[in-house]
Amino acid sequence: MAAAAGGPDPLFGLRNNFYLGAYQAAINNSEIPNLSPDEVVERDSLVYRSYIALGSYQLVINEIDSSAATPLQAVKLLALYLSAPENKEIAISSIREWLEDPAIGNNPILRLIAGIIFTHEQDYNEALKHTNAGGTMELHALNVQIFLKMYRSDYAEKQLRVMQQIDEDHTLTQLASAWLNLAVGGSKIQEAYLIFQDFSEKSQITSLILNGKAVCCMHKGEFDEAETLLLEALNKDAKDPETLANLVVCSLHLGKSSSRYLNQLKLAQPDHILAKRASTAEESFDKAVHAVA
Amino acid sequence: MLTKFETKSNRVKGLSFHSKRPWILASLHSGVVQLWDYRMGTLIDRFDEHDGPVRGVHFHKSQPLFVSGGDDYKIKVWNYKLHRCLFTLLGHLDYIRTVQFHHENPWIVSASDDHTIRIWNWQSRTCISVLTGHNHYVMCASFHPKEDLVVSASLDQTVRVWDIGALRKKTVSPADDIMRLSQMNTDFFGGVDAVVKYVLEGHDRGVNWASFHPTLPLIVSGADDRQVKIWRMNDTKAWEVDTLRGHMNNVSCVLFHSRQDIIVSNSEDKSIRVWDATKRTGLQTFRREHDRFWILAAHPEINLLAAGHDTGMIVFKLERERPAFSLSGDSLFYVKDRFLRAFEYSTQKDTQLIPIRRPGSNTLNQGPRTLSYSPTENAVLVCSDIDGGSYELYVVPKDSYGRGDMVQEAKRGVGGSAVFVARNRFAVLEKSSNQVLVKNLKNEIVKKSPLPIATDAVFYAGTGNLLCRAEDKVVIFDLQQRIVLGDLQTSFVRYVVWSQDMESVALLSKHSIIIADKKLVHRCTLHETIRVKSGAWDDHGVFIYTTLTHIKYCLPNGDNGIIKTLDVPVYITKIYGNTIFCLDRDGKNRPIIIDSTEYIFKLSLLRKRYDQVMSMIKNSELCGQAMIAYLQQKGFPQVALYFVKDERTRFNLALESGNIEKALESAKKIDEKDHWYRLGVEALRQGNTGIVEYAYQRTKNFERLSFHYLITGNLDKLSKMMKIAEVKNDVMGQFHDALYLGDVRERIKILENAGHLPLAYITASVHGLHDIAERLAGELGDNVPSLPEGRKASLLIPPSPALCAGDWPLLMVSKGIFEGGLDDTGSGAQEDYEEAADADWGEALDIGEVDSIQNGDISMVLEDEHVHEENEEEGGWDLEDLDLPPDADTPKNTQNARSSVFVAPTPGMPVSQIWVQRSSLAAEHAAAGNFDTAMRLLSRQLGIKNFSPLKSLFIDLHMGSQTYLRAFTSAPVISVAVERGWSESASPNVRGPPALVFNFSQLEEKLKVGYKATTAGKFSEALKHFLAILHTIPLIVVETRGEVNEVKELITIVKEYVLGLQMELKRRELKDNPVRQQELAAYFTHCSLQIPHKRLALQNAMTVCFKAQNLSTAAHFARQLLETNPSNENQARTARQVLQAAERNMRDATQLNYDFRNPFVMCGATYVPIYRGQKDVTCPYCSTHFVPAQQGQICNVCDLAVVGSDASGLLCSPSQIR
Repeated sequence: MAAAAGGPDPLFGLRNNFYLGAYQAAINNSEIPNLSPDEVVERDSLVYRSYIALGSYQLVINEIDSSAATPLQAVKLLALYLSAPENKEIAISSIREWLEDPAIGNNPILRLIAGIIFTHEQDYNEALKHTNAGGTMELHALNVQIFLKMYRSDYAEKQLRVMQQIDEDHTLTQLASAWLNLAVGGSKIQEAYLIFQDFSEKSQITSLILNGKAVCCMHKGEFDEAETLLLEALNKDAKDPETLANLVVCSLHLGKSSSRYLNQLKLAQPDHILAKRASTAEESFDKAVHAVA
Repeated sequence: MLTKFETKSNRVKGLSFHSKRPWILASLHSGVVQLWDYRMGTLIDRFDEHDGPVRGVHFHKSQPLFVSGGDDYKIKVWNYKLHRCLFTLLGHLDYIRTVQFHHENPWIVSASDDHTIRIWNWQSRTCISVLTGHNHYVMCASFHPKEDLVVSASLDQTVRVWDIGALRKKTVSPADDIMRLSQMNTDFFGGVDAVVKYVLEGHDRGVNWASFHPTLPLIVSGADDRQVKIWRMNDTKAWEVDTLRGHMNNVSCVLFHSRQDIIVSNSEDKSIRVWDATKRTGLQTFRREHDRFWILAAHPEINLLAAGHDTGMIVFKLERERPAFSLSGDSLFYVKDRFLRAFEYSTQKDTQLIPIRRPGSNTLNQGPRTLSYSPTENAVLVCSDIDGGSYELYVVPKDSYGRGDMVQEAKRGVGGSAVFVARNRFAVLEKSSNQVLVKNLKNEIVKKSPLPIATDAVFYAGTGNLLCRAEDKVVIFDLQQRIVLGDLQTSFVRYVVWSQDMESVALLSKHSIIIADKKLVHRCTLHETIRVKSGAWDDHGVFIYTTLTHIKYCLPNGDNGIIKTLDVPVYITKIYGNTIFCLDRDGKNRPIIIDSTEYIFKLSLLRKRYDQVMSMIKNSELCGQAMIAYLQQKGFPQVALYFVKDERTRFNLALESGNIEKALESAKKIDEKDHWYRLGVEALRQGNTGIVEYAYQRTKNFERLSFHYLITGNLDKLSKMMKIAEVKNDVMGQFHDALYLGDVRERIKILENAGHLPLAYITASVHGLHDIAERLAGELGDNVPSLPEGRKASLLIPPSPALCAGDWPLLMVSKGIFEGGLDDTGSGAQEDYEEAADADWGEALDIGEVDSIQNGDISMVLEDEHVHEENEEEGGWDLEDLDLPPDADTPKNTQNARSSVFVAPTPGMPVSQIWVQRSSLAAEHAAAGNFDTAMRLLSRQLGIKNFSPLKSLFIDLHMGSQTYLRAFTSAPVISVAVERGWSESASPNVRGPPALVFNFSQLEEKLKVGYKATTAGKFSEALKHFLAILHTIPLIVVETRGEVNEVKELITIVKEYVLGLQMELKRRELKDNPVRQQELAAYFTHCSLQIPHKRLALQNAMTVCFKAQNLSTAAHFARQLLETNPSNENQARTARQVLQAAERNMRDATQLNYDFRNPFVMCGATYVPIYRGQKDVTCPYCSTHFVPAQQGQICNVCDLAVVGSDASGLLCSPSQIR
């Protein structure tokens, strides 16, 4: 890791932008001189992943040709997986195949992408199979997230401790501890808030950071404050699904109408977890009515 | 030792500070007395009248006087304002060692080698007492600061204390003659009114110096036996207390420090020593290479000392006086004595927070130097010079404000400087390895980072960044990325002040200030002759700073100026508008009000905020030469114009700003040739022909005027000019004009008149005026000049000018808003004209653009083709697949190992499941998404069977229970369960109940809205609101039992309204059934409503019944209405009228099913009264009554529960379960 190696890290800014959700900034500032070949690959994978985060799947699929390095191929698979539901099968089978390949199966970015894809598939066991060994901060951070999704904050905490030992001030360490803090709740919410607050002072304010702060505020019961933050985030990116989803929640708590945001969300990302919740809730309500009656 | 000032000179034998001004007198071995300003570092004056060394010198406390005594046996009293010696006191018979003024009487005490001490009256200029008793040179004598005592030291190895009480009594007595007589006696018999009180023996060699303690009965003395002795005295005796050993040679001078408990001595061993006066131990020694010390002096008011040595003197301070402070938001944290204190600006409240460790008094200057504060963690880093630089970390407990005297065990460490770089991280400079240690609040090292330059101090520079200071430069270093963000060459930076937004930084050196931005890009540098002390940014981006003597400002462009002078140095901490908050040297917070008009004005100018500038010009009196000079210098002559009354200055400014009209005005008033000339030049430059012409006319500059007319094509005036020239007999001018006009005849005439006949002839013949030529040829006779052959002559006619009348296109003179705003005269017509011209030009441009677009298109087409070609070419490359041999198997093994060893944990329990397990509240089940259990609970508790009205509520509850956190990019979001009733002290990992989107206060709001709609008569809308409340209540959760009762109360209130409104709406439908209408109106009045609504219902029922001639019933309603004391007079009057009408005819026209004397409740479905004693059933939820026939139906009022079913009752609070 860069922190352990010492000396300036040319990709530091790029990584930070990427982790904190400033994807366009990451893309714009990717022209970094004097990179070693490995760093060039890492840079490219970060840039392509930024494009994926911005939803430009097709661009990534088109630009990465078959001669590109393994990490980039993995990134391409992720783009393929996310681009359309019908591509999922192909992507999953390819990634399984590659993971079997001893020459490339151990590549951290490939494992990372595998972790992300299997997490999407909610196959946490399979995801963890590839990510649990760690190796990069990103893999550790993904582990934290998977454990949180499995409601195993104890395991997440262990992962976080590993990260803290590697580099306590690393952006991902800070972020992961904010996630964990939010998940365990109580007094830790305030700590999570401070972490996001630090980020908002230190770096470019992104909708990810604003959402983080807003979520903390909502957990603290400060819905007015949360709404201000979320509207600011909405100004930055009017289609950000998390912003919309959180705005729905926030509006509900403020007793305001939330249907506009919900409709926007359904348009922007029909398979968002909140949209799914809304539809499954209706179904289960009807089912429950039958059951009770 | 902090040296403030140093001089090089002959040996300094005497020193004296001025009590008010920054002056010090130094008397030299060469016989000169020097007066220095130690702040500015300049020699103010020198007094050279003594013959031989001057050993004693002293300022008078209040008058412009000083006294000196030298080896010429003379005591001289000087007036430094008049720069001369006023008089000389003669009497001593040998060298004079010291002289001193008394602090209140007009006395001088002097010590001399003639074994005597003399006291003089400098007003009568006589010796009033001679103190004899020493039997060797008296080396020093001085008055006690308060009492009638004198202490003296002599080479006879004694220190003597003299009582001069008698002398004071004598001078007080008014009888002059008697005094003089006794004075004669004194002189005669010696020392009657000054007697030796104590003789202090103990030194083994001659004593060089003795002085009193400023407040305590103590004396300190220094002698050739290399010892310093402390003596104590009381009313009757004096004795030796202790001896301070350490000096290696004769001690020349010693004194008590007036503000600290220390003794300072100096010696011929070339050192100054500082001693602890209580512990009597040496604290510190300052040595010089080659210079023996001779004299010490202490400033009477402030913390300064001076010492004279062989080659000059030094003015110095022992300890720093700047309090360590740190600013955070609205609060200032600072150290005073041994406490950390906080000062809140908004309330001006000063609180003592915690005691901190008192620096060990075994050495000086170990107090806190800097402070760094982390607001979120409430932690303070105190840095000091202890152990060559160290820090202490204190955490201020939140609740112990103002109490607690226990020093908490601070976390300590060694390091050049320590400063917070994030809320829970601080950086410590490790000078030896030139790296920074980043530590956490447990004082554990988190990270080490080598620094890019040899750093001797670090300062805060934004989160995660450090400003590193080296001898000659500063850099901003990013601790995480380990890169240098910016660097700047500077002189040695002492303090760093960031602006509030962290966009600008001021770097304060001893004599300069550098302003830079956050990347250390240089903006401006200021140099100060007087030491810079502190500074802060105001809200407008102006840097306000203090020097030793002034408060000054610095604008963003580097312009600076004085705001206020200072008596004592202060340290600015914060600026709020016109108030500067600062700390003084005693650690007291002081607000200083300043007048910011000047720098705000300049700032507005700089920022081009002319509206502000204008309002300031109009409203405030900002005048003076300095301001005009500033404006002129800064290129704002047009603004300066409005300040000036003097016409000449005005004229100059107007010319400078190109304001030709104003210049003309002034020129007319001045009316001098020179000014007209300059006006003409400027007008010509601008092309304002009218004024050019006018100016030439005024200066009578005919040549220029003629030429002017020529080029403007004003031929009429030109010919007039020719006539004028003729009248003035100006032949040359006349000829020129004729030439300009192309008037050949006139030219010939002129030439002829001037006697140039050949020229006239040639002119005439060339231009073909043969008759004249012939005449002239006749006159010339033989001398007819010959014309060159073969040349054709033509007449030069001046070309017709492009513009004949009016001005030339005028040079654009920038017209500031001042012309518009401050002049009332406008020039609208001209602008219109300009606009028209613009329009034409615009069209012309369009044509050009069309052209260029066409060109562009062509090239684009070309490019397209090019691309095609390239693509085809690229298609030609065939990538060959390489057959790579399979790699070694090791990676596979590790992968296998990985997957075989790792066993993924089983998923944990979702929070929503925990919620469900713990709760029996329907709302919480719904929030968790367990709708079926929620429904079961509701039907059990409230008998609810119809859930469809609750659908959206259920879904809202469920959706509002989780927030969404984007964690890892492109990975699915984490949904986080929101819990209710968060508090900062809640312990983590303990799940609270879910946060619900509905709460009681919302319902109360809704209730009010419903009331309002009811009042306004919008019944269906009101009904909707009340029903919504009724539907939400089953999903409400409140905390206390009291609130549960409120909820239950709310059900009843709302139920009544719903029922009433339903009946009222029903009534409106039944237009053709007056009886039923009256009944329903009557029943409505029986619902329990708010008083105003009740009145309306009653009025309604009354009106309906009255109209239907049911007067008795109407009267009943009228009576009830009057009983409510209606505030609306109309209501009351109508009611009274109805009552009167009814009393005349007390009967009903129709029979109603309504007996108000018999109590009843309403059936919620059929709207018939159920009188007391009749059978009924109720709704288990809203408890509306129904006729038994309704049993088993869904309640008509709440639309939720089944009438008459069994239910356990509303459960809406965890407190009901416990």
